[in-house]
Amino acid sequence: MSFLDSIAAGLSVVANFEAFLALFAGIIIGVIGGAIPGMSATMAVALTLPFTFSLTPITGILLLLGVYKGGIFGGSIPAILIKTPGTPASSATILDGYPLAEKGEAGRALGMALWASCTADLISNLALILFAGWLASFALNFGPPEFFALILFSLTIIAGVSGESLLRGGLSAILGLLLATIGLDLVYGTNRFTFGNPNMMGGLNFIAVLIGLFAIPEIIAMAWNPTAHIGKTRKLGAKWVTLKDYFASFKSIVRGSLIGVFMGSIPGIGAAPSAFLSYSEARRKSPNKEKFGTGEIEGVAASEAGNNGVAGATLIPLLALGVPGDVITAIILGAFMIHGLQPGPMMFVLNVDIIYGLFIGLIVSSVFLFFIGSVAIRGFKYVADVPKRILMPAVLVLCVFGVFAVNNNLFDVAVMFAMGWVGYAMMRHRIPPAPFLIAFILGPLLEDNFRQSMLMSGSDFAVLFRGPITWFFWTAAIVTVIAISRSAFASRRKIVAAVQEEQRNG
Amino acid sequence: MKSKLIGLLGAAGIALSATAALAEYPERPINMVIPYGAGGATDISARTIAEPLGKAVGKALVMANVTGAGGATGSVTVQNAKPDGYTMLFARVGSHSVNPAMKETLPYTLDDFRFVTVYEINPVACAVAPNSGIESMDDLIAKAKEGGVTFASSGVGSLPQLASVMVLKEFGIEDPLGQVTHIPQKGGGAATTAVLNGTATFLCTNSSALASFVANGQIKPLLVTTAEPVPGFDAPTSADVGKPNLEKLVGWTGIAGPDDLPDDVAAKWGEWMAQAASDEKFVDQMTKRGSIINVMSPEDANSFIQNQYETFRALADELGMRIKG
Amino acid sequence: MTSKSLQLRLGVTACVFALFLVVFAIPQFVSAPSNVGKIILSPLFWPYTIAGLTCLIGLLLILGWWRTVEDGVVLEEPSENRPAAIARLFGLAVIMIAMVWLLPVLGMVWTCMLAFVASAVLVQTRHPKIALICAVLVPLALYVFFAHVAGVAIPQGEFVRLP
Repeated sequence: MSFLDSIAAGLSVVANFEAFLALFAGIIIGVIGGAIPGMSATMAVALTLPFTFSLTPITGILLLLGVYKGGIFGGSIPAILIKTPGTPASSATILDGYPLAEKGEAGRALGMALWASCTADLISNLALILFAGWLASFALNFGPPEFFALILFSLTIIAGVSGESLLRGGLSAILGLLLATIGLDLVYGTNRFTFGNPNMMGGLNFIAVLIGLFAIPEIIAMAWNPTAHIGKTRKLGAKWVTLKDYFASFKSIVRGSLIGVFMGSIPGIGAAPSAFLSYSEARRKSPNKEKFGTGEIEGVAASEAGNNGVAGATLIPLLALGVPGDVITAIILGAFMIHGLQPGPMMFVLNVDIIYGLFIGLIVSSVFLFFIGSVAIRGFKYVADVPKRILMPAVLVLCVFGVFAVNNNLFDVAVMFAMGWVGYAMMRHRIPPAPFLIAFILGPLLEDNFRQSMLMSGSDFAVLFRGPITWFFWTAAIVTVIAISRSAFASRRKIVAAVQEEQRNG
Repeated sequence: MKSKLIGLLGAAGIALSATAALAEYPERPINMVIPYGAGGATDISARTIAEPLGKAVGKALVMANVTGAGGATGSVTVQNAKPDGYTMLFARVGSHSVNPAMKETLPYTLDDFRFVTVYEINPVACAVAPNSGIESMDDLIAKAKEGGVTFASSGVGSLPQLASVMVLKEFGIEDPLGQVTHIPQKGGGAATTAVLNGTATFLCTNSSALASFVANGQIKPLLVTTAEPVPGFDAPTSADVGKPNLEKLVGWTGIAGPDDLPDDVAAKWGEWMAQAASDEKFVDQMTKRGSIINVMSPEDANSFIQNQYETFRALADELGMRIKG
Repeated sequence: MTSKSLQLRLGVTACVFALFLVVFAIPQFVSAPSNVGKIILSPLFWPYTIAGLTCLIGLLLILGWWRTVEDGVVLEEPSENRPAAIARLFGLAVIMIAMVWLLPVLGMVWTCMLAFVASAVLVQTRHPKIALICAVLVPLALYVFFAHVAGVAIPQGEFVRLP
């Protein structure tokens, strides 16, 4: 069957009113679900799953994909407005999005988030359609040694989000690594820092840590100084994102999308590291590096491109191999199976119409997202106008409900509060929270993949350098570390020179 | 506003006093704890039965995934809940027979729960990658004796770990822990991927987790542990290879409450389950996924689990697999 | 606290913490089976690595302190009345502890209403009436959404159950 025939077959299953309606409804559900912290895209997809049982396969799956895509964008709304990431993937968006909101440019940040998301979504979908087969076979080359090298390289992101001091960023990362060791050991199943508490055996809940680290310190800071915000304009602002902003950030958006496609096509990494990697790359390449973290619109664009770029690409291992890359795609896989479809190489032969129908639906979804997102931003803008001393208690209550809902466990609420105080202490000591988060996500992956590599090779370190993929990431990691230390020394020398100059003059 | 609030409180107070007057169970929604994550085998099974079961119960069933520590976090939630029948658990082979058999540090034992039913049995299959050159169990065993064979599992204390060890032992490998390396993964999906990409040589897990890979020719089944063949799996059964002991090696899903659950509540669950499991749509959906629907009475369920636990426990003790720290 | 003294404070804290991990916390709270063949596979390997890194960063921070020129810029969060600010922090901590303790007893909705009022009072809101209305409506709205739309088993407490 030729390409055109395939498209015609796809059109024949997707070209009906219900399919597009499902996609549209899905995106609306996703944006709302994603915008509620703790609800997150994952839960929104899980909740929608039962409704797909009675629909035709293509309609049902398009509904779920709509929820997924909408959810990943929706997460950026609370990240920008109340410093609480709606989904883990949008935590990188906080870094510049929240400062922009504080400056009274929330509208501009939200607009950029939407434009970057839609662009990345489109690029990601195109990558899925054009390169699915090739990327999937590439992804299968990723065993534990390759993961180890990739994660080691990804840890260099920490330097990019450390802000004013690399060492304080490192300290933050160390704390994240340490807290991530809580739970059962992967290889032997023994307890690590669980203090005999069954709730600790599963490790600290990621969402509870995330919300505790970002949202709760804001509330505590408000208790320390309830009137700090007075005099600052904290409104959505008349300022909207302009085409000039968009084109200025266009390179970062494309780079972020490609990073997203790459990270998404490898099962098991997820959207949050991709957003951070995209952010730190954008910062590294930018002429106004030092403005990142204080409200640089390009930072928002890069993070959102990084996380939305993942959304289409996670379908690559799902459709081509039947391997889900994260929880959301695992649920979508469940939907396929309930309809008697078995994703994998054979599906491209047996169910071409469904595959191409999905492709067409995905392309349309980027357009839908653009319109629904524009409306949603206008709807949520009232949040920016709520008096801050009413907003903060409301955020507190929202976080309690949301964090509980993630795992139906009250212990997580306590974890969130405890992490809030840790986050506040870090804030007071000017320790940035982003490295903590990256280390918390990547630390366990690094350890697990290291030990799995050692198990499969019988403790032979050579396995860590076993092929071109590992060589590539080792080289990339070493080059980045050298670049970071050179720039750190250079900036130190500059400061010392400036101080000496001052002393000579004074 | 205030008067409305007082009115609400009053109404709720009346509802409360009605509770005290010994109402018929169930008179409010029942919380059903699923100790594993969304999209997993337990979750799909639980949500599939929720619909016919909800009809039989007559009240809403509120599904709550409480994940962590291989099912232990969710199980502890129910262990500590009030035994009033309003908090019940979807127990699974991993959380309630492999884990207790292997982990001394587990915060609960089988005695902390009262099983009201086991309703689903999942056959276990062992499989390798098609390009591995391994065509049969004999090839695998021969290779294992040479050394360098690894197997994947979804974590320490999971069914795939114990299943692989038990199969190797049954096929005459005296010291499976020493001769074959276990590479634990995080979750069932990752375990299958590890075999697909060559990280591990083989794995033994529920046939439903492997079905689509087998259908796509990405994975080659070597053995199924049931006596009857499993549809779609072109592999010998435990009866074919003459190892009836392996028939105990099956996955299952059941429903349990805290151990002092009243008798009348347990009896009600027995009736509901019988009604729910006769729902044709439910049976059809589950069978399609490779499960065998077989509703056990509370007594049968208890002895079935106890029996499986003892088999696993004996194996774990013999091989020194118990986790003590 | 200036940029220089901050470095010293963090550096010393990190070193002391690393020592605490190595001497007490890791041996006490990380258990490893006795039959671990290779040291790199032991559950203890990674925690000790992290402790080592903590110590390294602490030493680097102290080195940085030693080589930094004092700039005299004070990095303190502004607050006009320090004792009152500390009292408010303490108050918020009490609210959070009380919430964790009350959640299973009173149920999530009632606890959150009380917490909303308490924290709004704590930060001395300029709109007490709106705050009170929000304190009732926000938890109720969230309850309706999570319990009836999302199907989450929101804790109901022992006294008053909501439909």
